Amino acid sequence: MKAVLSKCLRAFKADGQLRFGVIGVIVLLLVIILAPILAPHDPYSYEFVRLLPPGSEDHFLGTNHMGQDVYSMLIFGVGTSLKVALISALISGALGVLIGGLGGFLGGWVDQVVSEIINIFLMIPTFFLILLIISLFGNSIANVMIVIGITTWPGNAKLMRAQALSLRERTFVRSAVALGETKTQILFKYILPNGIFPVVANTTRSMAGAILTEASLSFLGLGDPNIISWGQMIYQGKSYITSAWWISAFSGIAVILTVIVFYMLGDGLNHVLNPKYNYGRSK
Amino acid sequence: MAYIEIKDATKWYPHKSGKLRDIFRKDKSFVKAVDGVNLSMDRGEILGVIGESGCGKSTLGRMLTRLEDPTKGDVLVDGVSTAELIKKDPLKFRRTVQIVFQNPFDTFTPRDTIQKILLRPLKHHKIGSSKEERLEIIKKALEAGGLVPAEDIMQRYPHELSGGQLQRISIIRAMFLNPSFIIADEPVSMLDVSVRADIINMLIDLARNHDASVVFISHDIALTRYISDHVAVMYLGKVVEYGTADEVINNPKHPYTKALISNCASIDPFEELATIAIEGEPPTPINPGPGCYFAPRCSMACEECLKKYPERYEVSPGHYACCDRIES
Ligand SMILES: Nc1ncnc2c1ncn2[C@@H]1O[C@H](COP(=O)(O)OP(=O)(O)OP(=O)(O)O)[C@@H](O)[C@H]1O
Ligand code: SF4
Ligand SMILES: [Mg+2]
Repeated sequence: MKAVLSKCLRAFKADGQLRFGVIGVIVLLLVIILAPILAPHDPYSYEFVRLLPPGSEDHFLGTNHMGQDVYSMLIFGVGTSLKVALISALISGALGVLIGGLGGFLGGWVDQVVSEIINIFLMIPTFFLILLIISLFGNSIANVMIVIGITTWPGNAKLMRAQALSLRERTFVRSAVALGETKTQILFKYILPNGIFPVVANTTRSMAGAILTEASLSFLGLGDPNIISWGQMIYQGKSYITSAWWISAFSGIAVILTVIVFYMLGDGLNHVLNPKYNYGRSK
Repeated sequence: MAYIEIKDATKWYPHKSGKLRDIFRKDKSFVKAVDGVNLSMDRGEILGVIGESGCGKSTLGRMLTRLEDPTKGDVLVDGVSTAELIKKDPLKFRRTVQIVFQNPFDTFTPRDTIQKILLRPLKHHKIGSSKEERLEIIKKALEAGGLVPAEDIMQRYPHELSGGQLQRISIIRAMFLNPSFIIADEPVSMLDVSVRADIINMLIDLARNHDASVVFISHDIALTRYISDHVAVMYLGKVVEYGTADEVINNPKHPYTKALISNCASIDPFEELATIAIEGEPPTPINPGPGCYFAPRCSMACEECLKKYPERYEVSPGHYACCDRIES
């Protein structure tokens, strides 16, 4: 346990992208926890003075067309974005790893079925499927998360399947068979741990994609109208873009920054989780 | 009766040309990686298996260890079929038959320390009753194998050790299970010449002092002769010559063996490996024959050779060759 901790610390010091990503996520989490303190206003409170420009007294990022404080809305929007990112990534990661891992490791007809399902899902234009499901089942935030999860797993499954396919030919897997380990033991001890790192990295990066998808849905007016989300803000600000640019602009910047944080984290993890990574030590 | 009996061991892989018509074709073509191998071994014997790349040596090794099931044929250990043995008591079969692989750098999972890697099979096969006892077993075995300081080695990851050290650990791990039949598939071909002797001596020790039957697969004729009691020469999935190591190497009868040996300049087993090169097309085991598989490259081939596969002849007691045109 101590060894693992010190390794994490060394990786953190050595890899710039990972450091940026981790610090970024910590900042975002702090914002969520401290939201009631950080936000000067209730983001749901509507004031009479509308469309105040940034720098106004009491509303330093201005207000929107309903008189809501843009800064406070941004603060409360962090939670929505992270929730969407995390839950949809978990769904997509778990589905992808299990389905892809099983297919690649077991091979034969199981793999054929898995590959076909992956291919079918990859052929479907994802965003239209999302639009379809949302319009059929309603646009609650839970539906948005589930639908992002079940439309993005094939990417992870493909990665995991390729990993499992090559891992099962590796000498250490063969020698585990020769030493009498069972299929389940081999899957969980050798295939998943040695093959999961590109999936973890990919999933983290696809969190960025999930945030964007949620924003896009909101931008099309298909987001959950009952919560504050950045996409929703961009959507609402769209009609005022010439007179009140700040509504869309600041929420757009927030989306971009968060996406970059997750992208960096994913990339950093991709370096560090590689077993050959030497934690900045020169060879 | 011999301790190990390989009976008609055969492995055919369906050959896929990658075209759609594969699915509809009735007369499927096959890669005959191993095609009817019959061999037997006594306890404490080392059998060398030599032949060009792609002749099916590794496939034979995988069948002997049941990493792959034979298409046809069987292997008997002490008179018992391994097909039955593995069905009845897989763990016992694994304890009986062990394998040492060619690539020591890939033999262990890169995520675990040597200690964790070695604890696993001990626990799995219930060797030693507590963790402390198992650690003691590991420490003793590493020290006996010249891997000192053992405590230090145990805390290392595989990529922090040399190929020679890793291959010794691989043999030590196999020996934990006290196997009586060991397949070593080119165990030194990826190692530095200077550390090959250690590995070779460990294998000889296994046969002589632990009474195990060892199959030593290699490209290297000089080394095979040095270590082996008997030698089998393989060509396109078939054994073409078999006999005691001295007989086969000093007095080869089959044209293929002759070509192999004349190409091997040195007989010093620890010199750099001499590559085997024979004129003619490199062989492919996709639907070979009819006739002698070696005929297209054989300098002595005649029309007869193209008609049917040659018989097996006992050229002198215990020395067999599959060629119809051996001059006595
Ligand atoms: N899983 C497989 N599917 C199809 N063909 C295979 C498979 N495994 C091996 N072969 C083929 O069987 C033949 C024998 O391969 P094998 O690896 O046993 O040769 P080898 O004698 O060990 O060669 P080398 O000296 O290069 O290790 C080769 O032609 C190979 O392409
Ligand atoms: S049978 Fe004929 S072709 Fe085959 S090895 Fe003998 S001489 Fe050569
Ligand atoms: Mg081989």
